[in-house]
Amino acid sequence: MTREQGARVLIVDDEKGIRSFLRVSLSSRGYAVFESATGSDALDKSVSAHPDVIILDLGLPDMDGVDVIKEIRARAKTPIIILSVREDILDKVEALEAGADDYLVKPFDIAELQARLKAVLRRFVPSDMGDILNAGDLAMDIGAHRVTAGEKEIDLTPTEFDVLKLLMLNAGRVVTHKQILQAIWNKSEDLEGVLHLLRVTVSNIRGKVETRPDWPARIITEPGIGYRLRSGDSSD
Amino acid sequence: MNTGAIRPYAASAGLIVLTTLLGEIIRKHLEPTNLVMFYLLVVVIAAVRWGKGPAIMTSILGVLAFDFFLVPPYLTFNVASIHYIFTFAGFLIVGLVISTLASRMREKTIQAGRREAEAAALYRLSSDLAASDTLEAALSAVRNNIGRVLGGDAAVYLPAEDGLSPVSADEGLPMTAEESATARRVFETGVTGRMDAGPGRAHHWLFAPLKTSEGILGVLGVRFRVTAGNLSRDEANLFDALLSQAAIAVQRARLAEKSRQIDLLRQTEKLHTALLSSISHDMRTPLASITGTMTTLLDQNHELAFPERRELLETAREETNRLNHLVGNLLDITRMEAGALRISKKPCDLRDVIGTSLEQLKEAIGARTMRITIPRDFPDLSVDFSFMIKVFANLIDNALKFSPAESPIDITANFSNCAATVEIRDGGIGIPACDLEHIFEKFYHTQRPRRFAGIGLGLSICRGIVEAHGGKISAKNNDDAGATMTVTLPMDPDGNRS
Repeated sequence: MTREQGARVLIVDDEKGIRSFLRVSLSSRGYAVFESATGSDALDKSVSAHPDVIILDLGLPDMDGVDVIKEIRARAKTPIIILSVREDILDKVEALEAGADDYLVKPFDIAELQARLKAVLRRFVPSDMGDILNAGDLAMDIGAHRVTAGEKEIDLTPTEFDVLKLLMLNAGRVVTHKQILQAIWNKSEDLEGVLHLLRVTVSNIRGKVETRPDWPARIITEPGIGYRLRSGDSSD
Repeated sequence: MNTGAIRPYAASAGLIVLTTLLGEIIRKHLEPTNLVMFYLLVVVIAAVRWGKGPAIMTSILGVLAFDFFLVPPYLTFNVASIHYIFTFAGFLIVGLVISTLASRMREKTIQAGRREAEAAALYRLSSDLAASDTLEAALSAVRNNIGRVLGGDAAVYLPAEDGLSPVSADEGLPMTAEESATARRVFETGVTGRMDAGPGRAHHWLFAPLKTSEGILGVLGVRFRVTAGNLSRDEANLFDALLSQAAIAVQRARLAEKSRQIDLLRQTEKLHTALLSSISHDMRTPLASITGTMTTLLDQNHELAFPERRELLETAREETNRLNHLVGNLLDITRMEAGALRISKKPCDLRDVIGTSLEQLKEAIGARTMRITIPRDFPDLSVDFSFMIKVFANLIDNALKFSPAESPIDITANFSNCAATVEIRDGGIGIPACDLEHIFEKFYHTQRPRRFAGIGLGLSICRGIVEAHGGKISAKNNDDAGATMTVTLPMDPDGNRS
């Protein structure tokens, strides 16, 4: 995989220690790294450095991270990954709804961050994937409405197929309940009836694609937020 | 003078009339001088019963009546024999002396009776106070006793955050701004104040400061039921005595309260010390490993082979995980203590909750056999997904820790109309019988070997979370081997909607 080769990452964190190990780790993987220690500097560099992805801490000395997200989103679609010690679901939801693409709680595993970076970059870097989606040994032929897990053919209902397709299109990234409800059922609110439908659908998909449906390893639940399909890249 | 004050005099005069009539009857048989004895008897009676004034009047009236009716020549104040002058003088002097002495005795008796009543009232108050072990009980004892003695209703005002407030009051006592203002003035100045009956107020009020060596502790307000607002001197004295008793009682109750708080503080402090030493041990241990591995890598990087470097790094990572877990637990327990645990219940798929917990413990589980049994038709549970993951992850992690690596772990869920249960069963060393009751308590250390020791927060966090959901958590030892932890959660009566 060389997609991240040359990708430009802006790291926004007031902790020097975090910035420095991220710089070492990410530049050795071929990323071009830029750094900001404050929100206002981050807003400048988000334009001047032309980053492909922004890693953002929520607790900045000069402004709240959520406001940084909103200001960036007001003019650009650059993917944003949040790195924060705040682990409350409400904080995560707030950041994701403000426009962040993913959320990682500190302390985090660098491999996990690498996987998330790849996932958000994959989505925004044009590719010639065509009609076949892949995630680990899961493969989906959109045109033929066919899904296979390894050698095994998987039989899905149309709704299950659509939900899995959405997860596979965003493989490795968190997909919120809201995004799924909007895309599949065209509902913009978290109506409990539809959420129940979603839970049942996901449970059914798991029954078909997971080796152990009671211990899912492919479709991961992000408590209170949504679901994430493991992309099959190392360590995610 | 009212009729009450005249009556003793009239009665005394009546007795003199009676005595004189008696004298008329028996004077033929007795020397007139001997009749003086009857008059003196009347003087004694008047002195003892009605006091000094009536007695003196009786003496004088007696002498006059004796002279007029019983000493010849009759019906004049003239006397036939000069020696009657001495009889009169003697009669008068003896009468006056008797009056004085007997009436003094009478007053003493009355005083003694009054003192006895006072002593009884004080005794009743102090024994009531002795029996009351809280400020509240002491205050109500003060109220009851003073109200009874003075014939009124009482209220005690004590300083509160926002000025003076009535902390203990008899029922039906009006607590208007006016009363409060008077009480506040008395509290500030230390001078007894009163509010007299008048238009708009049917009763007299008296407000007296509760004074002690520490200053004014509060104010006692009394509303008199009978409208006599003025206290007699004796009543006032008794009131003062009761008041100082009350003040001392309030002071004592406050000191007791304070010492109770100090006691509590000391206990909390002891707990904090124990906690701190526990935490510093549990934090320093992984930090020591991390520092050790890091410095080894820094100093001896070139001497180490790749597998050794890898091993050191993995140790460091494990230890940071441990540290992170500990910090998470401390945060949770602090939130719980502060009442800041925000449980947000939403319908959840229990299978998903358990599956996500297992996924979080992936590394710890490794190749261990996990047998999960959840009925297919298990209904949605209304719980906080994230917090329930903490509960199950903690319980499963414990089960893994306390059982041999090859033994399987069973997770079994069941449901009825009103409750869902999840059992986590291991085949390990079990829980010592003496610990069974205590393992969910904060900072409880089991008798288990040190290598398992944490600061005993995990299970108490589990209990806190489960109880915040209205559920229960319990532990028991299995008949064969190991222990079973059971989480019981209430089921929504209307199925899967929250």
